[in-house]
Amino acid sequence: MADEPFDLPGCLERVRQRDQTAARQLVEHLYPLVIRIVRSHLPRRVAEEDLAQDIFLKMFTRLAQYQGNVPFPHWVSRIAVTTCIDQLRAQKRRPEFRWADLSEKETDVLDNILTDERDATPGDALAARELVHKLLGQLKPDDRLVIQLLDLEQKTIAEISTSTGWNQTLVKVRAFRARRKLQKLFQELQSKEKS
Amino acid sequence: MSSFDHQWQKLTALARQAPDDRDPAAPPGFATRITARAATAPAGSPWAGFERFALRGFVVAAAFGVAAIALNFVTLNADASDDVASTDTVSELLDLS
Repeated sequence: MADEPFDLPGCLERVRQRDQTAARQLVEHLYPLVIRIVRSHLPRRVAEEDLAQDIFLKMFTRLAQYQGNVPFPHWVSRIAVTTCIDQLRAQKRRPEFRWADLSEKETDVLDNILTDERDATPGDALAARELVHKLLGQLKPDDRLVIQLLDLEQKTIAEISTSTGWNQTLVKVRAFRARRKLQKLFQELQSKEKS
Repeated sequence: MSSFDHQWQKLTALARQAPDDRDPAAPPGFATRITARAATAPAGSPWAGFERFALRGFVVAAAFGVAAIALNFVTLNADASDDVASTDTVSELLDLS
């Protein structure tokens, strides 16, 4: 039963006819896609379920505008990405990045990355993920999203362009700007690490 | 590859290995709650997508407004000084004489 392919066009047609069961099935079908985007770009102090709820409500209220020019999951991805960016922009101030705020494990991982002295252990992965999120938290929301998709989710420029609606040149410019800012952060960290 | 690129690639490669054991399925009752709220929500306007540009649009419009007033102020001042010169009774009298 669970292996049956989901009939998305049929489900959308029934949702347009105000079929509540179809609407529930649509939410359950798209939830993994939406929650993956939300978890990747979750702003501080925002519950992931609240953000997912906002995204699905926007999806339903804008459903009449969906023309079918792009696959429906891509259209929903754009709503999810835009909603997350709007939330990040609403926070305005980004937390200051301080060496003292890093945990012992994060400092250890960073030290290893900067000095390249030993191979990473499997236990370093969680600390590395936390550290990357702290560094990405210093970037502008749009730049952060590009780096997240490019370097963590390993999407191509074309895929990022499709899921965000930004043209490929803009994606490249944002990636370049973000990497320059990250490089500056790394240099600051290196000087603090030496001192 | 620069030193930074190497360090960043190493860090992100390590971060990607972190396990994510969070459940990707919708929590119980989530879909029902959403559909109930969506059913009572008003339908979205086709112009709703432009709402996020409203504030920026207002700022740009205000900047254009200020620029237009500043430019016209200079022109009006110049016109006003021309008017004064042309309605100078003494010069008009001299012209007549």
